[in-house]
Amino acid sequence: MTNALQGRRVLVIEDESLVAMLLETILDDMGCTVVGPESNIDDGLIAATTEASLDAALLDVNVAGREVFPVAEALRARGVPFVFSTGYGEAGLPEHWRGNPTIQKPFTEGAIRDALMKAMNISLA
Amino acid sequence: MRTLAKTIDLVAAFDASPNPYMLLDAELRYAGMNQAYLDVTQRRREELLDQPVMQEFDAGPGQEAQENARQLLASFEKVLATGKPDHLAVLHYPIPVPQDDGTTTYEDRYWSCTHTPIKDVEGRVTHILQHTSDITELERLRRQVGRLRPADPSSALDSLIGGGMFRRAMSVQADNRRLETERRQLLDMFMQTPGFVAVLNGPQHVIQLHNGAYGQLIGHRDVIGKPIREALPELAGQGFYDFLDEVLATGEPCQGRQSPVQLQQTPDGLLATRYLNFIYQPIRNDAGTIMGVFVQGHDVTDTVLAAERQKLMIDELNHRVKNTLATVQSIAMQTARSHEDPRSFAETFQSRILSLSHTHDLLTRSHWEGADLREVLEHETTAHGLHRLTLNGPNVALDPAMAVSLGMIFHELATNAAKYGALSSGDGRVLVDWSVANQTHPQLGIVWRETGGPSVTVPERRGFGSRLIERNVRHDLAGTVQMQYRDDGFTAEITIPLSKEAA
Repeated sequence: MTNALQGRRVLVIEDESLVAMLLETILDDMGCTVVGPESNIDDGLIAATTEASLDAALLDVNVAGREVFPVAEALRARGVPFVFSTGYGEAGLPEHWRGNPTIQKPFTEGAIRDALMKAMNISLA
Repeated sequence: MRTLAKTIDLVAAFDASPNPYMLLDAELRYAGMNQAYLDVTQRRREELLDQPVMQEFDAGPGQEAQENARQLLASFEKVLATGKPDHLAVLHYPIPVPQDDGTTTYEDRYWSCTHTPIKDVEGRVTHILQHTSDITELERLRRQVGRLRPADPSSALDSLIGGGMFRRAMSVQADNRRLETERRQLLDMFMQTPGFVAVLNGPQHVIQLHNGAYGQLIGHRDVIGKPIREALPELAGQGFYDFLDEVLATGEPCQGRQSPVQLQQTPDGLLATRYLNFIYQPIRNDAGTIMGVFVQGHDVTDTVLAAERQKLMIDELNHRVKNTLATVQSIAMQTARSHEDPRSFAETFQSRILSLSHTHDLLTRSHWEGADLREVLEHETTAHGLHRLTLNGPNVALDPAMAVSLGMIFHELATNAAKYGALSSGDGRVLVDWSVANQTHPQLGIVWRETGGPSVTVPERRGFGSRLIERNVRHDLAGTVQMQYRDDGFTAEITIPLSKEAA
């Protein structure tokens, strides 16, 4: 495994602080710089549209009772790849968003790394 | 009769028949009779022609006679009304016999009659043909036997004496009564069944009949005799007309399960969505031709809505469980990083999980509606001795997410106090004061103050506990926290908005 994700700036949206801390720790271990984490959709949208450089994003689907999809739209418009994180897995996503890299809670470091690399189209070779 | 009148052979045959026949017009006056009839009634043709039959034969005196006359008249009227033949298997009808001295006596007789309608080209009943048999001897015999063997009225002997014809006649009459009763019972069941039922007739699906449940489904509109497209116009574009057309065209039944339908259930009201289980079945006549559609089904809206609610609840439960597992995963990972000794890791990890579990217990008691701040505090601190903590503040209702966050925060504060702060020595105490300020956008202020403990030093590096407190307050509660390691004791001041809108 190479340091393919070294130095990447990754936006995190997650409403539960302990889960956010876990993601931070895991991303930190991979050499990524965490942007956020943001705990609600409004702050997430601001970060998604105004942060100067973003390489990827990890998006909790259900953020304090609201769905994260407006943020996903904003990121897609900017061409920033993203990974959904959800308790339901990919089957819980609306049709429109299926096929996008998704990790299911609780998650492993490996699953996060694989999903991010898939989203960013980085090959393991 | 037209045919009979024109066919001389038939008229002759009619008159020559050993079976008594007579013909009545629609006013029940004699229009004709054959010789056998005149013989059996002991009357002459010119006496009877054009006379009302009920006047010529009044069934004699007595109570029973009136009933017998009524039975005969009812049969004639039924033939006139329905245009269908009617049978009287046994008719007790004495006939008047004029005596030589000018008086009239009545001769007791039993008859078996068939009344057949004769119709004109428009199908109206113009005449009734009566074919009658005198069964007096048979009936007398039968009654005598009945008196001898009253306990066994339907015995083999009775069948023997009664003879095949008589028994068959009785049985047809009984069958008719039974069928009529069954038909009425079926109709009653049909009208009262909790499911909805309707009969649609012909290619336009004219509503011929529907029951109460169907009436309720369509908002008690007057739809009888109307084609379905006119009766229930709101069904246009919902596929039901097509299903009905298909059943008529193919003769194949059509079924729907939990099919949504938009129905006008109140006049001028909005369309209501109902969910129906239904079946459309073709109705065929004796020749096998499809005449209409039989509609039946159940309104299963309540079941469908309950299933939807259940799915929502399961989704929400799944969300909470997975998030809790991710939280536990995070606690495990962060705890492991600051505890190299497996034993101290296990101890710290367990106490954090138990704290989380305690808050869940509190919330379960209120069906996850929330918890009181004091309760959450007491839960996390009683293990350290109630007398060493002073809790002072008003009742504050916390929503479930706030309760979980504050539970974890108080757990970390109390653990820290027990390890390094005021609760680590014999004399130390903890004072917790809280209040709510600003009624429009209520802010909860909590002050955690430790006194009497060992002298305080600022820790060299921030542990998981203090990071958890800071992040929880800022991230989950949208508040602020200030932690101070003062010489006389550790303090933490937490301010959080109580209403979500202010967050």
